[in-house]
Amino acid sequence: MAKEVVRRTARDNRYLHKDFHGALSVGLEYVEHHFGEEAVRDYLRQFARAFYAPLTADLKRRGLVALEEHFAKLYEEEAGDVRITLSEEELRIEVEACPAVTHMRRRGYPVARLFRETTRTVNETICEGTPYAAELLAYDDETGRSIQRFRRRTP
Amino acid sequence: MISCTEFIPAYSELFKFLDEKGGPKAVRDFWNYLSDRFLGNLRSEVAEHGLRGCWVYWNHTLNEEAADFTMELDEEAGLFRIDMHHCPSMGRLLALEHVEPYPDYCLHCDVLYRRVLEPLGFACEVDLSRCREAKCRLTVTRRSDGPP
Repeated sequence: MAKEVVRRTARDNRYLHKDFHGALSVGLEYVEHHFGEEAVRDYLRQFARAFYAPLTADLKRRGLVALEEHFAKLYEEEAGDVRITLSEEELRIEVEACPAVTHMRRRGYPVARLFRETTRTVNETICEGTPYAAELLAYDDETGRSIQRFRRRTP
Repeated sequence: MISCTEFIPAYSELFKFLDEKGGPKAVRDFWNYLSDRFLGNLRSEVAEHGLRGCWVYWNHTLNEEAADFTMELDEEAGLFRIDMHHCPSMGRLLALEHVEPYPDYCLHCDVLYRRVLEPLGFACEVDLSRCREAKCRLTVTRRSDGPP
């Protein structure tokens, strides 16, 4: 059989590998089993403080519109069914089905018991040190359907 | 939600977190767990199709990751090879100005894939000597005591 060779460059494809959600989920599962439930939140806080530092700075500078732009781009990339509403008082994100959970369920990957923390803890951490607070008003573990709210902290 | 496009820094930070908890052994234990728990699709492809299973698996993942690579399959010679000209994962980490990659980030590929391929009768070599340039080479060869 002849040798087969394929050559690809980054420009040939769009960067969207949804199986990564499954790998993250396995990571959360591992941390919970070996280090406990709070360690999962500690890890997500550590990640969010490091990686989303520019977003947190942008939130301080420009307010909720910074988060609106971030989440609009995120859910558009992942083709999420979402409604995002921004008012002077709050940013509300209603997710019909989480694209990550949908993909993992479809592919048969394990969904970590604490997967919701990738929304709740991460959103809360992004808001740390800003005038805003994040709340996860509703979350369905089966589908990742959720209602997320960001609003100005009350004194 | 953490986007899958943000996964690589999340992964790198997970390695750092585990290292802080239990040193490099804790990181390696996780890689072994991830290989066993998550790479069932690579395992089943290679178990069923031999080296061609590697071709099928990485043709899917590397295209979705928009990698810059050359992939080669020579079933007669018993060889499968990926020359990664620019790894999308390490490339992204190196491009981030505000996050340092886990020092042994690239080693996870060696551990994860070797653990799947060697028990199936293949030798797996990963050359990481240029990983700080986001370049590497994965070579899988059929062992003499491996499948036909």
